[in-house]
Amino acid sequence: MTIYSLYIFDRHCDCVYYQDWHRTRPTRAPPPGNYKPGVHRIPNTTVHPEQNAVRESIFSKYNSNPQGQGQVERDNQNQNQNNRSSLISNTSNERERGPNRTTNTSLPKGLPFDEESKLVYGVILSLRNMVKKLSGRDEAFTSYSTSSYKLHLFDTPTNYRFVLLSDPSSDSLRFILRQLYVGPFLEYVVRNPLVKVDSRTEGIDNDQFRTAVDKHMKGLSMFN
Amino acid sequence: MTIHGLWVISKAGGLVFSRSYSDVLPPQPVNTILTLAGILHGIHAITAKLTPAPIPGVPISGLESFEAEGWGGKVFLTPTGTKFVVLHSLPQAGLDDLLRRIYEIYSDAVMKNPFHTPEMPINSSLFETKLQTLMSSVNA
Repeated sequence: MTIYSLYIFDRHCDCVYYQDWHRTRPTRAPPPGNYKPGVHRIPNTTVHPEQNAVRESIFSKYNSNPQGQGQVERDNQNQNQNNRSSLISNTSNERERGPNRTTNTSLPKGLPFDEESKLVYGVILSLRNMVKKLSGRDEAFTSYSTSSYKLHLFDTPTNYRFVLLSDPSSDSLRFILRQLYVGPFLEYVVRNPLVKVDSRTEGIDNDQFRTAVDKHMKGLSMFN
Repeated sequence: MTIHGLWVISKAGGLVFSRSYSDVLPPQPVNTILTLAGILHGIHAITAKLTPAPIPGVPISGLESFEAEGWGGKVFLTPTGTKFVVLHSLPQAGLDDLLRRIYEIYSDAVMKNPFHTPEMPINSSLFETKLQTLMSSVNA
């Protein structure tokens, strides 16, 4: 059992929160213009946007490329490298090494974050409409699965959509999404005066919420 | 398990066959099903792109099943790209077996029919009777 990632969408169809755990194909950073703050953790903000590295995978601290570490010296030839957090240097090397890459070349690259979240929302919306039309009732689908992952959906009355990606063999995990909503979400987002709920320019990310979600997930028996 | 309906979608995303086998889900006009089949074809492609942790060497597959409240759907993709979509009630024990049977019937009654044009709507009474027999035995 594995938990891959969590998305929260608001009623404007925007992704307002993202967190991931065991992704081997991490998402890439969006182009600077499409970046909305407070959704996911990006490393040091002093990194210059024109650098390749910013567009590389930065959301996951789980290094998918074990060979990357040997390349740090080469990485440092770049002036701005020092600003980068260690989170990104490993994965950015992967690209710079180019033809030397061997094991990971078969893994397709992840999508930029903005595109990915739009695709997730698009799939949910289409599948939801399809299910609604087929059953003739106002009901949403609860989950779908492919051979490699399962997506769980939980809707709140205020039209927040909680989406969880887990491995395909897991049972319904909607209760976890409900727990996240009732627990951390209400406590650290709704009751937090500093969070601009319903803002279209900012996400709902804050330290307490992220820590609480992380703690909740890691305490689950199906984590790992 | 009750089977509510069966769709066959060609590799281009067109609906080539659809039948309803129970009255739990409201009957839909053919045009609606045609649209929905196209949407499902698109969803199938997108879901494959969203795979968070692909295993190297294993091809990435798309949507296999979805669940709503009390019913669900299962997508069976043949190596040639034809999709069989079964709408069923939950829980769905023995569904994989059923899909294999459907595929078998399809191969026998449709693919071996010299008058059938690939990718075109299926007009075969043999296919329909065989399916009807299979479905009534499941739904009974």
